[in-house]
Amino acid sequence: MFRRSGRKGNYAYTVARVKAKKSLLLGEEDYNKMLQMSVPEISRYISESGYQKEMAELAGRIEGIDLVEHATYANMAKVFSSILAASQGELETMVAAYLEKWDIWNLKVILRGKSYGLGADEIREDLVPAGSLGAESLEKLIALDSIDDAIVNFAKMDKVNGQELLDIYKESGNLGSVEDYLDKYHYARLLASIDPSSRPTKMFQEYVRKEIDVRNLETILKLKAEGIYGEQVMQYIIPGGKQVDKKLAVQLANAETIAAAASDLSQLEFYEIIKDLVEADEVRIRDVVSEMKRYEIAQAKKFSHLYPLSVVPILDYMIHKEIEVGNIRTISRGVESGLDKETIKGLLVI
Amino acid sequence: MAPHDVTPNRSVLLDLKKRIKLTQSGYKVLKMKRDGLIIEFFEVLEKARKMREGVSSDYESAMEKITIARAVEGEIAVKSAAYALKADPQVKLGSKSIMGMMVPKVEAEKIHTKMTEKGYGVISTSAYIEDAATAFEKLLDTLVRAAEVETTMKKLLDEIEKTKRRVNALEFKIIPELKESERFVKFSLEEMDRENTTRLKHLKRKGAAEE
Repeated sequence: MFRRSGRKGNYAYTVARVKAKKSLLLGEEDYNKMLQMSVPEISRYISESGYQKEMAELAGRIEGIDLVEHATYANMAKVFSSILAASQGELETMVAAYLEKWDIWNLKVILRGKSYGLGADEIREDLVPAGSLGAESLEKLIALDSIDDAIVNFAKMDKVNGQELLDIYKESGNLGSVEDYLDKYHYARLLASIDPSSRPTKMFQEYVRKEIDVRNLETILKLKAEGIYGEQVMQYIIPGGKQVDKKLAVQLANAETIAAAASDLSQLEFYEIIKDLVEADEVRIRDVVSEMKRYEIAQAKKFSHLYPLSVVPILDYMIHKEIEVGNIRTISRGVESGLDKETIKGLLVI
Repeated sequence: MAPHDVTPNRSVLLDLKKRIKLTQSGYKVLKMKRDGLIIEFFEVLEKARKMREGVSSDYESAMEKITIARAVEGEIAVKSAAYALKADPQVKLGSKSIMGMMVPKVEAEKIHTKMTEKGYGVISTSAYIEDAATAFEKLLDTLVRAAEVETTMKKLLDEIEKTKRRVNALEFKIIPELKESERFVKFSLEEMDRENTTRLKHLKRKGAAEE
């Protein structure tokens, strides 16, 4: 599906569209204002900031804080789909490969919903069709009776080896194995879709590899907190990381505790950011992950202004749109749950 | 039965004496049981107090973590992860005896499930969701243990109340009534003895006069 395209992308057109959208993104000042508002005020504020259509469309079925979450996701899905539809050639290949994570997200929602016994309407409500698979394809997957059929049909749509995927599911009897397989497969295909011969695509590739590093480190820390180490950790490592290569991953995986892994972690470029958190008596993984995410975003910001006619501004916009949706949700849910403003601020990615 | 509703004869007196002895020893045993249950109750009360504090702090921590997970990852992601869960927590129910009273013994068997066995992917499930899941598993474990202590405490309270009522009934009603019956029978027998003696003397005097 994401074999490199021989055709050059329509960068000028797509970047122009993205630039117009980027000017509408909310900034730090907007988030600070929203922190002082109640949920209805936030709903109104975001309605006036580009989410009005989705808010109005969903208001008949969903209300309150859930409306904010669903409307922001729906808007993001619409925007990403329009970018994908506008891009052509190698650009389309890269954008589609990048957005494939939303196809996998939707498959997870469908499989989990089916395994729990949810109805089609309930599953449909939670989908975010921001990837290559549109509402029609997702509808087909929802309509299938069994999990096996959904896996096989998704594999056909996404050009994954369906039999292998089904074997993994049958062997483990656990949807988690299918999810992990698809997550690893997504990064492998994303890396394969990028031709790093030009400077901007090289930057894109570097960004993806750094994202893999963050993902791998998060996985290692999560499993270590559960007392899992060694070979069992390695099966969850995504190949292709920039700093966390196989050798370092093995070293980190073999360390029995997070404290024991600290010396190996010190080789990482971003270790200084997480040093205090990792070396603390009680390691709070979510805080470490939060700092790593901030690092990831800081990396993206570094190249956002470079190479205006390349995949970089498009990637930069998609990252920031996703962050915006996350930040709106964090503020709304935080305000609704009565979290104090400083805690909410600490959870925002700005 | 009223204390005077007895037939005043020697066999009833012997029976009453036996019953009084038995009742008094039963009263002593019940009093000891009541005191023992009260001591046990205070021990369980202390455990329950600590357990309630534990439940309260675990609940607050779990709610804070789920709130943060819902804020950062979104309701959809949290809900979806919950749907993926395969393992059901297992609780083993048994019973144990405290001073002859059966109280439940609840053991949490499989509350914590490893992340790799939960049913959702390890790679994509965020640390926030995992953190919340672990906090709720801890809360469930504390709740199961608290349920055992709370039920034991309630059962002990019921048993203390029941034993107290029995002790009071024996002390203030049964034993005094039996003693009153015994006194009545003794008094009646003495009265009958006196009547017999008088009757015999009267007959003896009558016989002597006729001779």
